[in-house]
Amino acid sequence: MSEVDQFDSALDLLRRLDPKHTAQHLDSLISLVPSLTEDLLSSVDQPLTIARCKKSGRDYLLCDYNRDGDSYRSPWSGEFETPSGGTGAGGVDDQGNNDGAGEGAVPSERVRKMEIRANEAFDVYRELYYEGGVSSVYFWNLDDGFAGVVLLKKVATPSGKSEGTGKSEGTWDSIHVFESVDRARQAHYKLTSTVILHLSTDNDALGEMELSGNMTRQIETDMAVDDDTSHIANIGKLIEDMELRMRNLLQEVYFGKAKDVVGDLRSMGMLTEANKDKATHQEMINSMKR
Amino acid sequence: MTSRQLKTVSSFVEGAPPGELADVIADIKALTVSSPNLISQLGPAFEKYNEEQFATVKLPGSSDHVVISSHNSLGDGRYYDAESSSSFAFDHSTQKASAVQSYLLESSQLDLVKSLSKLLGSHVNEHYPNASYGVYPIEDDSKIALVVVANKYSPNNFWNGRWRSLYIFSPSNSSLSGSIKVDVHYYEDGNVRLLTTTPISSSVSSSSASTILREIAVAEKKYQEEINKGFSILSEGAFKGLRRQLPITRQKIEWDKIAGYRLGQDIGGGSARN
Repeated sequence: MSEVDQFDSALDLLRRLDPKHTAQHLDSLISLVPSLTEDLLSSVDQPLTIARCKKSGRDYLLCDYNRDGDSYRSPWSGEFETPSGGTGAGGVDDQGNNDGAGEGAVPSERVRKMEIRANEAFDVYRELYYEGGVSSVYFWNLDDGFAGVVLLKKVATPSGKSEGTGKSEGTWDSIHVFESVDRARQAHYKLTSTVILHLSTDNDALGEMELSGNMTRQIETDMAVDDDTSHIANIGKLIEDMELRMRNLLQEVYFGKAKDVVGDLRSMGMLTEANKDKATHQEMINSMKR
Repeated sequence: MTSRQLKTVSSFVEGAPPGELADVIADIKALTVSSPNLISQLGPAFEKYNEEQFATVKLPGSSDHVVISSHNSLGDGRYYDAESSSSFAFDHSTQKASAVQSYLLESSQLDLVKSLSKLLGSHVNEHYPNASYGVYPIEDDSKIALVVVANKYSPNNFWNGRWRSLYIFSPSNSSLSGSIKVDVHYYEDGNVRLLTTTPISSSVSSSSASTILREIAVAEKKYQEEINKGFSILSEGAFKGLRRQLPITRQKIEWDKIAGYRLGQDIGGGSARN
């Protein structure tokens, strides 16, 4: 059994086990097959953690792409911070070693300039669509272009209308990873988007109800590029369209498909009545055919 | 295989979604090739899974599915089905039945068990397109367990679902307790799970089978209505509160002008766009 097969089996298992506990399952898999650690951590999306930038006082999101060992780069200051306090250079140490995203976690001056603009743009996007929450954008250099990740997170704390509609809570995590490869007067973009959505509610009459999960979609496209500002607009449009699509898809699966399956398992009405109606209907059609 | 690893793998088995136990076992086998004896050590995990999930099995020579639960266990991996008056051996890892023998249920509550079984059968036929059920005297004939399990598997369309009802009727105080659980898994380009559970706790006015079944029918209908309400609560509440479909302006963002948004009134409900 090759490691590739084991990796596929690990991903298949994560696609089947309760998505609310993906982080826990991931830990279990890593302890079971330690050789899969790097591959799993870099390809399995988990709910994002929030940290506060020491320099700007603003919240930002942690992921593997802004991590270097124990420290994370704040998109607002551009500096690495450790959870225990203090800032470090990050990237590559004196011996040329790196950990986590390492060298890749520190963009060149030109790409960092774009990153700053992208963070400002997605901060606006976040306010318009999420009316709260936290956003972070991290860019890094590629040989023939650049890449990045756009992160958005919002937590809805228990709330409900007074008219006994019930309280509900939830968490939304968006993880958009893209690559932009330079071509003549245009760029080729490849975007992989994952949304992790957890919803739950409980009350005396209902008991507990949880809808959790994650969905991933990919697109590739070419778009015109005049200057670096075009990149921000292109990526913005791509992600805005993707999130709209995914929100609709999640709505369909969570509140359409899941509800339909419950209705398929148990019928509210009497099945014999329904079957009788069907038989009468069929008889009518048959008699009309004659 | 260490005991910690066995515990980890057992938790994977117990977490298998409806109808996907074989897939989960295949994944576990691939992930533990270095310990080929592992599957044989997972017996207790398979047994727990099958009994808790009310696994169903077709008896050799029969077309009906019968339920596996702790309530109709005879020990030593054997279970009984009162309907067909038979007992059988059940292989927890392959979910196959064998060694069928005739089995006559003995119980001081036999008449009530038989009436409940008949009425539960018609109730199940009225509300479940595909379900199995069983009625079993338990705890030295002091209580009666009623079990219903409905499965719908559609792996080609990447979804599977299960409904489980368990009712324990206690003649001594005419109480009905138990739980209803729903588990739906959708996994096309993702992994989405609906898990619901509600406790059942009520008293019935008499120990007649028809009174008990009426109470069950009411509880199930009410619960299904509550689940449907739950979908609206989640959709209208948390889901809407997390991300808008469009900004309050009802227009997509003009990314070419994004740098100007901060200065304008677009954020926070302003409609200026000129």
